[in-house]
This record gives sequence, structure tokens and C-alpha cells, in this order.
Amino acid sequence: MNRAVMKKTMYFFVLPALIFYLLFWIIPILKLFQYSVTDYNGYVQSFNYIGFDNFKTLAHEEILGVSIKNTLLYTFISVILGNIIALALAFLLNANIRAKGLYRSAFYIPTLFSAIVVGFIWSYIYMPDEGLIASLLNKLGITGIDTNFLGSYDKSLYSIIAVDIWKNIGTSTIIFLAGLQTVPHDLIEAGKIDGAGRWNLVRYIKIPLLATSVTINVTLSVINGLKAFDYSYIMTNGGPGTSTNTLIFAIYKMAFTEQLFGKASALGIISFAIIIVITAAFVLTLNRKEVSA
Amino acid sequence: MTGTASRARSAFTHLLIILIAFVNLAPLLIVVSSSLRSPSNMTNPLNWFNEFTFESFRSAFNRMHFPTALLNSVILTGVSVIFVVLLAAMAAYPMARIRSKTSKFLYLFFLSGLVVPGQMVLIPIIQMIKDLGIPMNQYTPILMFITCSLPFSTFLYTGFIRSSVPEEMEEAAHLDGAGLFRRFWIIVFPLILPVTVSVVITQGVWIWNDYFFNMVFITKALESPIPVAMLGFLGDQQNPAQWNVLFAACILCVLPLLFAFLFLQKYFIGGLTVGSVKG
Repeated sequence: MNRAVMKKTMYFFVLPALIFYLLFWIIPILKLFQYSVTDYNGYVQSFNYIGFDNFKTLAHEEILGVSIKNTLLYTFISVILGNIIALALAFLLNANIRAKGLYRSAFYIPTLFSAIVVGFIWSYIYMPDEGLIASLLNKLGITGIDTNFLGSYDKSLYSIIAVDIWKNIGTSTIIFLAGLQTVPHDLIEAGKIDGAGRWNLVRYIKIPLLATSVTINVTLSVINGLKAFDYSYIMTNGGPGTSTNTLIFAIYKMAFTEQLFGKASALGIISFAIIIVITAAFVLTLNRKEVSA
Repeated sequence: MTGTASRARSAFTHLLIILIAFVNLAPLLIVVSSSLRSPSNMTNPLNWFNEFTFESFRSAFNRMHFPTALLNSVILTGVSVIFVVLLAAMAAYPMARIRSKTSKFLYLFFLSGLVVPGQMVLIPIIQMIKDLGIPMNQYTPILMFITCSLPFSTFLYTGFIRSSVPEEMEEAAHLDGAGLFRRFWIIVFPLILPVTVSVVITQGVWIWNDYFFNMVFITKALESPIPVAMLGFLGDQQNPAQWNVLFAACILCVLPLLFAFLFLQKYFIGGLTVGSVKG
């Protein structure tokens, strides 16, 4: 293209966005690196540089390992289960049936809710004795199941992961559905003529062509999982004990409840490294696997 | 395949979907039924729809200062979304048109912001706002809503301008003497309307629902948007005696977006997929 048409002066268009982005996102992120080697408490603007003490303290404390483990578990389960369920739903909703739009909306509705509302509703569902699950089991005469979903050490994390999956499934389903609708019809016909069965059509034609939607959904859910905070904050306050402490929740608690902002920054840097490595690994692998129609 | 067999299969698919949808939405039915009870009706929520009254709604409505909260939400979301559209569309224009290392760097630079959670950087952000002498009030969250929406919005806009706005159209306008600014606003901006819809909906929904930045900056009840007004019920979630009012508040909270969805369904669904199909 004519160089006179696409000039460098175009870059002025980036400036307003760039100013916002630098001032309120990038510079604060860089400041984390500075604070991670101080004993700054987040309120009083006077602090000492203490070298890598924050990192050393963190390395000795249980919370680091626990919150990394919880975050990875959260991400792993929500990515795998969330995407498998969404993919299955998308195949189901892609069938040639009436009222498709209505069904699609039924699964999409929860994605419109604020995390607070979702947290409140599920707190009721999970409530021991009187909650939805507990009273349903009761009505069906099933006893002997511990219904204290949010209050037990080994169930609380899985319980909030389920909430996250419920809330986000609609978005993933719709993205998969859109992907399925771009699969060319003649390709399916060609497959049928060549004698491919229902499963083979799915396995060798539909899933490979869904690669773009898979990349988008998996990437978004990985990021969402690694940033998990809402339900630990709203539903369990990280507890019981540290069982639902995700990295971001731990950072938040350290910074605002314990007022150890230096230490929280150090944990932030560690989380940052984990998030970047995992996200980059996912994006690079998935991009390589994509095929086009 | 015979007609009967295919009809049986389609009936089975319907049944299966309805069953899954019912399980998926059952909690919401309980929420609706409980919200329509009086606050003192403590019978088991499973005995649904055994009373119809708006008493709980009235109570929730007053406690949330609903009309004020609604207005606050509309202002916060509306102003933020307008700025996001303007800033992100403009920023995407050179990133889509210029093919250079700088342009590619900027594109990835913006996109990478997506992985950073706001909770982590909140304190330095507050400092920055103080250092710049920006007053902390109910409108301060707008700054954060704009900033945090930029990564995803510039990503969507850049992809779309690259793939769907032909450079030739601009060339013609250039020959007619249109400057850069005119070309962008008269030719490019109207053509990227599908992404604008997508940006307005995806970013509008998260901004409308966000409680975090709002909770940090807004301290007065009458300045709160809906999600922050909801936070006032945080202590009630473990207290069955308050459920009916809490559920009524939940319904009030989701009603505005549900209405928007009802009337703009096509755009909500389409908006999600603009970026995903083209990739």
C-alpha cells in the first residue's frame, strides 16, 4: 500500500489508550517489583528495602505451596471439565431441532449474573441441612452424605470450582457452537460418502476444525482459573483454613487484611511468573495445533 | 432414515436438552419462588411457589436503594463503555494497518495486560491515582473499567480491521483528499460496528457486574452501583431467616441485564463470537 496513505503519524491514534494503559496498569505492575523488596505496609508512605527477605519468608511459609496448589487445581479442573461439558452441550445444541435459540439462552443466562449474585445463590445451594442439595437429598430419603460443602476441608475447593464452571459454561458453549456452525457442510457430506461414522465425523472433521474455538475457550478459561478470586472471597473467605486460598485471594488477604504489602507484592511477582509461563505455554501449543478448513 | 425414527431422535434430543437445562436453571427457579414469599415465610424453599407477594421485593428494593443504585450503575457502565469504544478503536487502527515491529509489539503489549488480575496491583493503582491528584469518588472506578477493558477490546478491533476493512476504501478516500482523522471516523469506524457491538456487550456486562473496583473506591451507600449495594447482604447468605429478601435482591440485581438480553439477544450471542470465529 501507498506509504503516503498509511503513515507513521497514525501512531498518534494509540496515544490516548496507551496513556491510560501505562498510568493505571503497567506502571503499577512495575511498582510491584519495587515493593516486593521492601517492608511497605500499603498505607504509610515510608518503607525500607529489605532485599529478598519477603521471598525468603514466603518460601518457608505453607501458604505459598497451598495457594499455588489450589490455583493449579482450580485451573486444571475448571478448564478440563468446563470445556468438555461446553463442547458436549454445543454438539447437542447444534442438532437440527426447533427452539434451538431458546435452549441456547437457557444455558447463557447465568453468564449475565454478577459474581456476587452467583455466590449468594450457590451459598444457599450448598448450605448444610437447609440448602438446596441438602434438602433435596433429605426429600429423596438419602442420608449419611455430608452436606457441608463449603465448610469441609476436602470439599470446599471443588465446590467453588463447580460454581465457576456453572457460571462460565454458557460463554464457552456459544463460542463452540459458533465454531461448529462454520464447519463446511460439504466436508461432512464428503466424510459420510467415504463411510465415516458419527463418531469419526466428530473426531476427524469437527474437532480439528473447532481448533480456533478450542484455543479461545481454553485460553480464556486458563486465564480465568489462574486469576480465581471471586468465589473464595464471596463464599468461603478462603476457608475453611486455607483450603480455598487461591494465589490471588492470598495476595489480597496479605495486602488488605494483614497489611503486609511488601510481602503481598512478592507473592504477586511469583503469581505473575506462574500465570505468564502457563498462559504462554498454552497459547503456543494450541496455536501450533490449529488447522483451517 | 425414516420419518418416525428421525422424529423419535429429535424428541429424545429435546428431552435431553430440557432435562439438562432444568438442572442447570433449577437453582434460579428456587430463587424466583423464594423471592415471591413474604420475608417471614420460613417453610422449606423446595415447596416452591407456595406464596405470591412482593413484600420481600419491597424490603430488598428499599435496602439496596434500588433506583439510586440502578442510576449509578447506568452512569458508571455507560460512561466507561463509551470511552472504551473510542480509545480501543482508535488504538487498534494503526496496530492493524502498520506492519512493523513497533506495531506488533504494541498489539502484544496491550494483549498481555489480560493476564494480570486487578487485585494484585490495586495498591500501586490507588497510589498512582493519588499522585496524579485525581479525586477518589464514585466516578473513580471508571478509570479502571476503561483501562482493564483495553486489552480485550484492542485485540478484537485490531483483528477485525485487519481482516474485514479493505485498505482500498481508504486509498480512494485518500485520493479524494481525506486526512487520516477523517478517514478513520468516516470510513473505518462505521465499518467496524460489529466489533463495537461486541465490545459494548462483553465489556458492558463485566463492568455492570463488577463489584471489586467499585467496592474499593465507593464507600457511601447512595453512591453505590447495584453490585456494591448487593454486598450489603453479604452477612445474610448463611442466615436462612433472610433468604427471601436476599433472593429478591438477587433478582433485582439481574433483572436489568436480563431485560437487555431479552431485547438484544441476537447482539449478545453474536457479540461473543465476532472475535472467535475469525480468530
